Amino acid sequence: MNEIYYVIVAPIFFGLLGFVINRLRTEFDLVAFLLTLFYAIKIFIATRTQIISYNVASVIGIDFRFYADSLAGFIVLFNAIFAILIWLYSLRSMSKMPRERAYYLYVALTLSAANGVVLSGNMIFLLLFWNVLVFSLYGMLQVGKVYSSPAARKAITIIGVSDYLMMLGIVIFLVKTGNLNFPLETTILFTDAWLVVSYVMILAGVLAKLGTVPLHTWIPEAAKVVPASTLAFIPGSLDKLLGFYLLMRISYHIFDITAYIPLQLTLMIIGSVTIIFMALMALLQKDTQRLLAFSTVSQAGYMVLGVGTGIPIAIAGALFHMLNNVLYKSALFLSSGSVEYRTKTTDMDALGGLGVKMPLTLFTFVVAALALSGVPPFNGFYSKWMIYQGIIEMGGRINIWFIFLICAMFGSILTLAYNLKLIHSIFLGARPKELNKVREARFEMVVPALFLALGCIAFGIFAQSLPLRYLILPSLGYEIGEIGEIGFWSPTLATALIIVGIIIGIIVYLMGTVMKPRRTRVFVGGEIMDEEEARITGPNFYSSINSVEMLRKTYEFGEGGAFDFYNYLRGAAEGVAILSRDVIDRIIASLYRVVGRITGMIGKLTSLLHTGELYTYVGWIFLGGIAILLILVF
Amino acid sequence: MIGFDFFVDHYGIFLSAIFVFIGLMSLIYGLATNREKGHRLEFYFMLLFIVGSGVGVALSYNLLLMYILWEISTFAVWRAVAYYRGDGEISAGSLTFLVNFAAATLMLIGFSVLYIDNGTFNLSGISVVNDTAAILILIGILTKSVTIPLHIWLAPAYNAIPSAIGACLAGIAENLGAILFLRLFTMGNYAAPGFFNTVAWIAIISSIIGGGVALRVNKLRSLLAFSTISQLGFVMLAFAVGGTYGILGGVLYIAAHALAKSGLFYGVGVIEDATGEDDMRNVACLLRLSPVLGVSMAMLVGSIIGFFPMIGFFSKLTVVIGAVEKTAYFGIGAIVAAIFTLLYNTRFYHELFFGDRCDIYKLRAKRPSYAGVAVALILAMVSLLLGIFFYQPVQYLTTGGM
Repeated sequence: MNEIYYVIVAPIFFGLLGFVINRLRTEFDLVAFLLTLFYAIKIFIATRTQIISYNVASVIGIDFRFYADSLAGFIVLFNAIFAILIWLYSLRSMSKMPRERAYYLYVALTLSAANGVVLSGNMIFLLLFWNVLVFSLYGMLQVGKVYSSPAARKAITIIGVSDYLMMLGIVIFLVKTGNLNFPLETTILFTDAWLVVSYVMILAGVLAKLGTVPLHTWIPEAAKVVPASTLAFIPGSLDKLLGFYLLMRISYHIFDITAYIPLQLTLMIIGSVTIIFMALMALLQKDTQRLLAFSTVSQAGYMVLGVGTGIPIAIAGALFHMLNNVLYKSALFLSSGSVEYRTKTTDMDALGGLGVKMPLTLFTFVVAALALSGVPPFNGFYSKWMIYQGIIEMGGRINIWFIFLICAMFGSILTLAYNLKLIHSIFLGARPKELNKVREARFEMVVPALFLALGCIAFGIFAQSLPLRYLILPSLGYEIGEIGEIGFWSPTLATALIIVGIIIGIIVYLMGTVMKPRRTRVFVGGEIMDEEEARITGPNFYSSINSVEMLRKTYEFGEGGAFDFYNYLRGAAEGVAILSRDVIDRIIASLYRVVGRITGMIGKLTSLLHTGELYTYVGWIFLGGIAILLILVF
Repeated sequence: MIGFDFFVDHYGIFLSAIFVFIGLMSLIYGLATNREKGHRLEFYFMLLFIVGSGVGVALSYNLLLMYILWEISTFAVWRAVAYYRGDGEISAGSLTFLVNFAAATLMLIGFSVLYIDNGTFNLSGISVVNDTAAILILIGILTKSVTIPLHIWLAPAYNAIPSAIGACLAGIAENLGAILFLRLFTMGNYAAPGFFNTVAWIAIISSIIGGGVALRVNKLRSLLAFSTISQLGFVMLAFAVGGTYGILGGVLYIAAHALAKSGLFYGVGVIEDATGEDDMRNVACLLRLSPVLGVSMAMLVGSIIGFFPMIGFFSKLTVVIGAVEKTAYFGIGAIVAAIFTLLYNTRFYHELFFGDRCDIYKLRAKRPSYAGVAVALILAMVSLLLGIFFYQPVQYLTTGGM
């Protein structure tokens, strides 16, 4: 199977060619992504029916081998699709940005490494590609709108630390079990405490990639300074694909977490906490990209929650949710990027009323936002529904299942709330005067977003007949009947009903007086007020939440970085550093000084004895002679 | 019978190749940057002494021969540190010489005890190792491989030494201790688990403390010095745990660290020459000064941190495997030390190459020397190529070239 080599080598090879020969960059990149897509489709088709697995080389007892099962084929396919969409979008949005040339190289490198991660059949081999992703992420974050190096430093620190932990976890696993190759004949049970440690350490790497609490903090930080396409590409899509892939691998193919309830609970708690707290953080953001970044983190919670249940329907739901999230979150990032491309701002205060000016972007944004909020009939609803079902089914094993269910559902409500705020403050409301000349974004930028939005609709309406049947269930190796009853929900029927409802609504709208709103001028103190001053912007939609004392405190802590793993890590390191430099190093240095003093004193003593007078020396010779005599005698 | 014998094995060949390569790079850098008329001859003399003694120790079969080469190396470092003849340089040189010489004397006593017990200085002939002798030799080793608390000479020496020889000191002379440990203890007949475990813990603690100090210091070369202390801790850990992975990891780590650290030394030398500053708080935004230098230093720093396309990844991985094979606690210690490595290296790199508002920052610097940048780039590329094609060196080191 040479396809595996091609999907790994082709992007970086042609990406490098494009980097070197700048004039032909677009052509080379096109070749790179199309080739990768072609071979990814071949791998996808091949892995539907068979498992590809072979050794390349072995050294010091570690096999470097490739392994592709149906899950890997699925992820590889979507890696390629998203890379090509983002590349298309970037052609316009990134043009004439500083370090544009390097940006494309990083995109290609990321794609290569991502494919490598998914197709490698050995944990250490996987770790190599996982490490390359750190480099490419670091480079990509440096291609910023403004001064972005602190965000890049934060990202590389968090991801780097989690990679070290993952390395240790993998090594402990290697030493304890002696085998790192996929597929294992039987999954490993947690018979040894070190195996639990190993799982948790690898999990740290996975969660940092997936971006859940507490390893998520670089994403909102980066959202302030990097372009939308970078956000859509790395934390928005590829990181989710890879994180989910490895989470599945370690939780069900290598270890079996259903055999150890505490770990399952840990996963579910991490998932729930992520959902609720990150949605709450998103609610009060005033910057579109930052809000979306918090939202990305929050959605990752659903995936972890779903995988944590260990129930087939929830796992399938989690995979479906991951795919859906990648679709609509990329669409949202790209649409908000289009808005930014035209208006040059992501500040919600400065935006408003753009729906008329950018109808296509409005469409993609609203579809994606509704899908994200889990409004039927879009895809987000369906996958969340499956996760809820899984949690309910889990009720037989643990009796606090309803807490997780409430968290998941409440998170969904919060998601709808912040999405309404987003839609309102960008596309509805009064338009600031400066934005009157805004036009629809460029063709190349609208098309990817449109494609993704249509995907959201299609995956929602035909959820059972298309994605679940052909993509999700085969990738997990489940049969249609195996995952149990998917409730009484029929998306196609529901869509028809919703469409009927909308038609009735339109009729009512046309018949009623809604068509003719009453317009009056605003008077303040007897003066006609400027329309611009009376404009109501969106960001303060939910600021009343802030008046609840407990929540306000929490927000203040959150914005101040009290929940930031990075700050604690640096604080602890700084503590050790102060201890090392100002205490330990000083003490050692003073010990040396003491030795030096003593040596000096001895020197001074001997110099006192060497007075330069003949009598003293004669006296010493005499004494020495006596000493020798005494030694010889006795 | 006292014979001065050399022998050749794959570890020796690999390490000597790395040493000679670094020596060559230093020579190029020195020729390009050292324009001082005064005692230039001494400069190259000492440089070659350090390279020669490094290769000699890597290939020698005899403890006495090792000791002689060891002292030659100490002597050369002493002269090199005091090269500029200022008060500070001379006292740093004296400190270097006194500490190293005192420790080497203790080591010589240890060697004598071994000779009395075994009747030979040859490595293969040493079957009985007295505990006292082991501890005396260990003091010499730890001083040479700058393990805390015997590290005191390193920071002053780094601050005084000319960059070109400094790179040789960082890349060659400091590794002699680890090589002796490998030859005499790890591959030898000394079996005292307590001894090896103690050395491993000393190495881990030294590595963590070195990393902690590196996170705090602001002088560029002091940072490099404590970084070296922290990295050589990994080498000592690897040799202390031993086993296939331990030995392989240690040898690879010496190579990775030598290449990267000497490259960083050239980079720092270039920066100091161009900006006239030796404190990293006073320089920023150097990526504008020389993007090539920025990229090469990023790769070198990445190699020290241990990210994959660089050789540093594989060496760190094998050291961790070796450590965990002994006990998982060693692995945890190594990872904590590695986290410090990550933190101080990112700080170092960001303070130098980025900064607040680089678009309006006024960079006061001369044009960086081409040769210096080129040498740093070459070392970075070698680290990268060794990292990508790690199969060949690893295969060579494990099978002995068969």
